[in-house]
Amino acid sequence: MSVSHVIMSSARLAGALALLAVLSGCAATPDLDTSRTQSLSAQRLLDDVPFHPQRDYQCGPATLAMSLNHTGVDVSVDDLIPDIYVPARKGSYQPEMLAATRRHGRIPFVLAPRLESLLEEVDAGHPVVVLQNLSLPAFPLWHFAIVNGYDLNQQVLRLRTGVTRQDSTEFGRFDATWQRSERWAFVALPPGQLPVSLSASEAIQATSDFERVQGAGHALPAWEAVVERFPDAAMARFGQANAYHAQGRWEDAIDAWRAATQYDPELAPAWLNLGLTLASQDEPQEAVQALQRAAALPGPWQASAQEALIELEGTP
Amino acid sequence: MTLTLRRLLCTALMVCLTLGTASASAATAVSMASTSDVLASQQTQDARERIHSVLARDDVRQQLELQGVDPADVEQRVAALSDQEAQQMADQLDQMPAGASVIGVLFAVFVILLVTDILGLTDVYPFTR
Repeated sequence: MSVSHVIMSSARLAGALALLAVLSGCAATPDLDTSRTQSLSAQRLLDDVPFHPQRDYQCGPATLAMSLNHTGVDVSVDDLIPDIYVPARKGSYQPEMLAATRRHGRIPFVLAPRLESLLEEVDAGHPVVVLQNLSLPAFPLWHFAIVNGYDLNQQVLRLRTGVTRQDSTEFGRFDATWQRSERWAFVALPPGQLPVSLSASEAIQATSDFERVQGAGHALPAWEAVVERFPDAAMARFGQANAYHAQGRWEDAIDAWRAATQYDPELAPAWLNLGLTLASQDEPQEAVQALQRAAALPGPWQASAQEALIELEGTP
Repeated sequence: MTLTLRRLLCTALMVCLTLGTASASAATAVSMASTSDVLASQQTQDARERIHSVLARDDVRQQLELQGVDPADVEQRVAALSDQEAQQMADQLDQMPAGASVIGVLFAVFVILLVTDILGLTDVYPFTR
């Protein structure tokens, strides 16, 4: 091969690599929102997060076990395999990681897709489950891992990942692999704890989804935490009231529905449940007042309210 | 065949839902509004969409069994999904990533990934760091 050939082919290789770099997006360090990071500790390491090295294909169960164990759930990797492993895919799906978290009594909160969210959670003492594609989109290598620390000065994340107990990855490289999962991450928290940043509607939906699986008794501390964080969210009061009612705490339920109707007088189901419960507690006058409010609001609960009014007043 | 079956199932479900509401209100006590029903009704006013989400769980159940999940486990696994998660799995299970940490490595791929690892775009071979 002549010298010119060699130069030509190296030039071609360099060109191809440059193109690849451009196509894949550069592994530049992501810009952090300093208004969110300045209140964080400069570095943090949650060293008490247990470590389960993954066996073949089992990064899902291993990662979930680490996360659950850290919040006090006594569950092994082997226990989790029948909960989330999919033989034909030799892996685990994201929604099933969340579902299995609920089955083991913890609430999964999916985080906003930003690096700051991970840092905030770790600083608050919550290890974060992340999904990365360690490889390129064309030959994906999907991988679950736990972020259990960071260092803002060195710009690195600390991870429990694969068979490595404590790995360090630069922000840039991590973000390049993480953005391929649309920056998917969640924390598993005991009922009563909430992530640092989330909206009222996210908190309410996550708590309701948990309640459907675990029942009102287990969800009640979670509703109380949501109401404390978002005191003027009517649906949070409503969810709390329903959970009280399911526990037989009528007075607490009535108070919470009343609060829900104060924050949102148009919330027909709150008027309906309030009216029905007042009726069962021998408060017919107040019950009629509440049911009249529900019956006046168009929507899926109107018919029930009208029906209940007829029953209560004895006349159409 | 499956299409007809789906249609039948859909009709049956619609009848059940309508009858269900009617019989609940015909009984002495009007039932209370549950939190999950209220949240679902705030997201979609469309009854057809809600029926769709019931069917989604059936779909996911079938697909997981086809993908080798033990039928004894499937029921509980699907029950723990939120409506939104069940819908998402029913709609896009084929394209959904499955965290597994394995890759079929050809030599060409090995070289490309070696380079992208060095560039800091990927994280496949720990020895590049």
